Amino acid sequence: MKKKREIAITIEDLHIYYKDIKRFSIKKNGLSGLNATTFKAVKGISFEIEKGEIVGICGKNGSGKSTTLRAIAGIFSPDHGKIDLHGNSISLLSIGVGFQRSLTGYENIFLSGMLLGFKRKDIEKKVDEIIEFSELGNAVYKPVRSYSSGMYSKLAFAITAILETDIMLIDEVFSVGDIKFKEKSYNKMKELINDENRTVIIVSHSSKALRELCNRVIWLHDGQIKEIGPADEVVTHYEKFMMEEA
Amino acid sequence: MKRFINDIRKYWDYILYQTKAELKTEIIDSYLGWIWLILEPLCFMLIYTFLAGIVFGSKTEYFPVFVFAGLAIWNFFNKTVSASVKIVARYKDIVTKVYVPKYVLLLVRLFVNFFKMLVTFGLLIVFMIFFKVPLSWNILWVFPVILCSVIVTFGVSSIFMHFGVFIDDLVNLTAIGLKFMFYLSGIFYDISAKVPAPYNNVLLCCNPMAFLITTFRNGLLYSTGADILVLFIWFVIGIILSIIGIRTIYKYENTYVKVMRG
Repeated sequence: MKKKREIAITIEDLHIYYKDIKRFSIKKNGLSGLNATTFKAVKGISFEIEKGEIVGICGKNGSGKSTTLRAIAGIFSPDHGKIDLHGNSISLLSIGVGFQRSLTGYENIFLSGMLLGFKRKDIEKKVDEIIEFSELGNAVYKPVRSYSSGMYSKLAFAITAILETDIMLIDEVFSVGDIKFKEKSYNKMKELINDENRTVIIVSHSSKALRELCNRVIWLHDGQIKEIGPADEVVTHYEKFMMEEA
Repeated sequence: MKRFINDIRKYWDYILYQTKAELKTEIIDSYLGWIWLILEPLCFMLIYTFLAGIVFGSKTEYFPVFVFAGLAIWNFFNKTVSASVKIVARYKDIVTKVYVPKYVLLLVRLFVNFFKMLVTFGLLIVFMIFFKVPLSWNILWVFPVILCSVIVTFGVSSIFMHFGVFIDDLVNLTAIGLKFMFYLSGIFYDISAKVPAPYNNVLLCCNPMAFLITTFRNGLLYSTGADILVLFIWFVIGIILSIIGIRTIYKYENTYVKVMRG
């Protein structure tokens, strides 16, 4: 990086606990109250991401990757620490983005778009492009519950890819659809990522994707940052670590 | 409060679109579609008219219309409150994927039920013409009563929605509570005539639904004005409940997802 660039995301000492406040049932527990056992999913991670940067997050299952992403997306509140998005719009793309199964794909495009903070008019302009990219054709007017899982993911991908937000969070979506669509979405992803202004965080288990797409990689282990640095380096260490553990 | 207004503005489009979409699917999904909207209250009206009018020999004037008007308001309240308890679970797919102020989901439900209530009102007008109910300016009381019902309903639901996330069997409790309230709201009997004093007045003051339904019917059918003070008090209570509900939701909504996980 030649000059100092704008910061898009700042995360300071982020902690997220699952207080295991199980939905309790009066029938089962009486009014004995909430006996909370705390599970710490993320324990104090801090990092900054510059605008336009592509950052990967790797780590084994249960290391807090998805939790971190969801916290950045605003779905979880941090129990401690701060997340500052510096006013950028954000979208979380993960397998099976929140569709409502009884509504049609077309309606879901609008609803998802609006939930991401787009105005109706903006979505209307892009709706054809989304349908085209999703390869759904007329099926888009059918209820989402009739979709195959591939169609479902294609639509989800198309919405996030075409409706562009400043920050994209991507949770394991490189396994979407058939080979052809996979290729297409991978390329689209590259194209999106090459946009100077877009900041992207990718969670993936695929070393290939991380190496090819990311500038930097954060390796999470047990809710903490184990290593953060250039993609190649971190991924190599991570692979080595996983091999040893196996 | 400022946040509330901003959020409403931000999500207004969404609320309307979602309401429309849900109404559409609800109507398309059932075989009888539109007819259901009319058929359901109509059938219940017939049942209660039979029960109270014939079995118990009620002498209330325009009895079928009386029952129907009561049901219109009651159904709106009943359906919204009972849906609110499990509303976060219902929208699990959305809630776990994107941030949305959770009462927005409640508002969608409220609007869906409000629309259904409007359809019922349409039918109510037909009935009134059919039974040749005389009208007076007191009919205008209907509007503040509806407004007050909406606010009270929202207030109560927002609080139930919050606790519904954490308490599993609140669904059952609410069902019992609502049934109890139904019988105490005088849907198919006239509280002031059938319940001995002083209980009838207590009921009419303390049970918002009994009060609202009675006032609604008085204006609509019997050319009688409303008790402005009580109406105003319930209006204020409704707003206070709503504020408490919204505050609580804002404070805890981001833990909802963590609970939903299990």
